[in-house]
Amino acid sequence: MALPRFQYHEPTSLAEACQMLKAFGETAAILAGGTDLLVKMKNRELQSQNIVSLAELEEIKQINVTGSNTSIGACCTISQIAESVKIRSTYPALASGAECLGSPAVRNLGTIGGNVVTASPAADLPPALVAYGAKVRLKSEDRERFFLLEEFFRGPGATHIGNDEIIADLHLDEPSECSGAGFFKLGHRRALQCSIINGACYLALNPQSGEIETARVVLGAVAPTIVRASSAENILMGEKPSANLFLEAGRAATRDCSPIDDLRGSAAYRRDMIQVLTNRTLHAALENIR
Amino acid sequence: MKKTIQLSINRRPYTVDVEPHWTLLDMLRNELGMLGTKRGCDKGDCGTCTVLVNGRPVNSCLYLAVRANSKEILTVEGLETDEGLHPLQKAFLEKGAVQCGFCTPGMLMASVSLLDEKQSPTEEEVRWAISGNLCRCTGYQHIVEAVMSAAEKR
Repeated sequence: MALPRFQYHEPTSLAEACQMLKAFGETAAILAGGTDLLVKMKNRELQSQNIVSLAELEEIKQINVTGSNTSIGACCTISQIAESVKIRSTYPALASGAECLGSPAVRNLGTIGGNVVTASPAADLPPALVAYGAKVRLKSEDRERFFLLEEFFRGPGATHIGNDEIIADLHLDEPSECSGAGFFKLGHRRALQCSIINGACYLALNPQSGEIETARVVLGAVAPTIVRASSAENILMGEKPSANLFLEAGRAATRDCSPIDDLRGSAAYRRDMIQVLTNRTLHAALENIR
Repeated sequence: MKKTIQLSINRRPYTVDVEPHWTLLDMLRNELGMLGTKRGCDKGDCGTCTVLVNGRPVNSCLYLAVRANSKEILTVEGLETDEGLHPLQKAFLEKGAVQCGFCTPGMLMASVSLLDEKQSPTEEEVRWAISGNLCRCTGYQHIVEAVMSAAEKR
């Protein structure tokens, strides 16, 4: 299926890209990896006369570590994240999310910025990003702002990004020393699979008492946006990790979700799996600490 | 308006005038007549259009031709050299890994990048490398055997 015709623009800096975006207004669309955008354009779900390509913009294709901050440029590919030594060692749940996205060829094209801004409730990277407390930096011609990623999503396909804004990068703080995280994805097959549900858990323990100081339980494909399962987190906080505690947290997590029946699974099946996989992923997070 | 790009395809330099809305697949098949790379789903789901861009497999149906400027492209036509078929192609023939043949170019390109990366891949790694490539005939078993055999023989 042929793509519709459009004008193609290749800015050489993020600043120039922001200017173009403002100038073209609603006629513009951003090309990063193209794995979502080009499919939507082929399907005629999206018509844009001006494609602003960030795909070759080196400025936002780097993973940079500055002190305790890691920034991941919006056009880093999924493969780049899955293979990064820094991400694999410091943010393993994010690397796991990246490893199971799409297929090898899709991972070589798709980008973290695209995965975030597309705002699919079943996207593979946001659960781990939110579990690690990621922030997203938005740039426009005349301003810059940060969002906590968990507050960035409004609904399926909708975020707080403005028409004139571009995701520049995602920022992650170094996790505390006594912390760990895990990721899960449940699908009908392992590749090219939109999740039935997915999620990530992050646990930080008090090094002296061994009690849970911070717990983040993040679930995807269970509601219109990814959710923080606060009922589960409340059960975990201040307690020492145990098999019973994790079981109870898994049960509580279902209360924070509003799954639907769709072609990938029923709401009832999703609720059952939320319980099982939250429990399992909490164990994985705990293992990751040691 | 057409843009002129310069790139390498199968180790040869090319200068091509491309429309912005052409994908790399459109350019290879329609403009250059390289019909080895197949058009399947055209949406990144089937993998039969897989080519290597700077050594890495991508879906050429989701890659704009203009992005290929200054890149090195390898397609199935570039696997054969003066010494004959690529060892992977020979292994596909020996193991009967081809039935209708429509997925074969994509399977070969996905596998060749694995063999470039890993000296002795495990069966699991082979299956993972071709996980974005659909085959409706073979059941994959002979394809996996062929890739393993090509890896062992070198």
